[in-house]
Amino acid sequence: MFPRRLRVVVAVLLGVALTFVILDLRGGQGPFASVQNVAASILGGIERGAATVFSPITGFADFWTNTRDQKARLDELEKSNAELQSEVKRAADDRARASALDGMLKVAGLGRYRVVPAEVIAIGPAQDFTWTVTIDAGSDDGIEVDMTVLNYQGLVGRVSNVEKRTSTVVLIVDPSVSVGARVAGSQEIGILSGTGKQSELQYQLLDPLASLDKGAALVTFGSKDGRPYVPGVPIGEVLSVAGTAGQLSRVATVRPFADISTLSIVGVVVRPPRTDPRDSVLPAVPDAPTVTAAPTPTPTPAESAPQLSVPSEVPATDISPSP
Amino acid sequence: MNIKARQALIIASSIFIAVIVELTLLSRLGLPGATPDLVVVTIVALALAYGPLPGAIAGFSAGILMGLAPPFDGVLGLQAIIFTIVGLVTGAVVDPRDRSVPVIMGMVGLSTGGVVIFNALFLAVLSGDRVVWENIPGLALTSALYGLILAPLVVPGIGRIVRSLTPEVAIA
Repeated sequence: MFPRRLRVVVAVLLGVALTFVILDLRGGQGPFASVQNVAASILGGIERGAATVFSPITGFADFWTNTRDQKARLDELEKSNAELQSEVKRAADDRARASALDGMLKVAGLGRYRVVPAEVIAIGPAQDFTWTVTIDAGSDDGIEVDMTVLNYQGLVGRVSNVEKRTSTVVLIVDPSVSVGARVAGSQEIGILSGTGKQSELQYQLLDPLASLDKGAALVTFGSKDGRPYVPGVPIGEVLSVAGTAGQLSRVATVRPFADISTLSIVGVVVRPPRTDPRDSVLPAVPDAPTVTAAPTPTPTPAESAPQLSVPSEVPATDISPSP
Repeated sequence: MNIKARQALIIASSIFIAVIVELTLLSRLGLPGATPDLVVVTIVALALAYGPLPGAIAGFSAGILMGLAPPFDGVLGLQAIIFTIVGLVTGAVVDPRDRSVPVIMGMVGLSTGGVVIFNALFLAVLSGDRVVWENIPGLALTSALYGLILAPLVVPGIGRIVRSLTPEVAIA
């Protein structure tokens, strides 16, 4: 039905595309991968520019979304205000005990993340089934593959690919992602995996007999050398638990602390804490100051980027949300 | 500039702009469901204006460009196959003498919705674990809806550019 020329051209195009598919699935390095990297660098640079041009529009969209939610937020804030006031009365005693414990564990002064801030400049289309975003910091800012990405709420994802001035982040909700997580308090460990839904993660406890309660908070238990996940980052809270204790597979549904749908400013952990801060970054301390931006000179190539250093005594409000 | 070069330039620049706008603007608007698929609407518009062969080439280049632009993390070349077929089919199926609004809108809706489904099927075969099946009906419907909203802006716009800059090869 098609003329000969059309058939030939379409066959060639499909053949070339199929070759790319095969090369991509084989993975690895080689000339194909480096061409891909060069192209990604150039396109990443263009995306940086475009994101700046479009920022008034996306900024307005954010504003509009926020205004729409304000009534619900007002109710929520009033409710939490009442709760907090009663909590403040009990807080003095708790605080004294907590600081004594902190001193005992010698965690307070040691657990420090060093974070390079970055902005999300492009997001992969939802219909590609890959939950990835581009951020405007790259190898020039000291970013490397498999670094942890977080925002003021909690864990966001890990760096999967680095260009010169941009990098790609795989979000924790991507179905291909698994994170080792520990229940704050009980210290039980398990595997947290993405579900492809932006407000749902699945958590599987390794010990089927361990107890797991609704509302329990999860933190990363960290990987070797802090790659891809540094220890102690708040991830989310348990919404519901399926199955009873003793059952072979107990799966909990977890809501991530970080709001994946409205990501804008994120931080890449370029230097993990020297020791596991455990869950000392979790408990919310009322009226502590927010993000402490302290430009710290470092001998690394990260020199050019402003550095955010988050001391572990304060980040309660920096990194974790109030429950 | 000769006619081929002008045609190539129009195809290349509209595909390029569509990819950048989709990734840095449309996806960041935080709309519910799918991301408005400006790229597919642009391929359909180019195929309607130039016919099946340039349509297929436009689809192929759009697929490769989407695969190279960050934050793409899927299988490079997969979208090129799907988009090539979208360009080819759109150019071949739509009769040049029948450019009524329902036909064009129908083509845009089918393409934007169909791309979601075929993308999911291909991905499931090649690298299984990422496709979330229960999300697909919602994604396909919202993608088609956004496509229908974009079409009245994109299709006549590209049609006008094509007719004024390359009148020799423009269809209708």
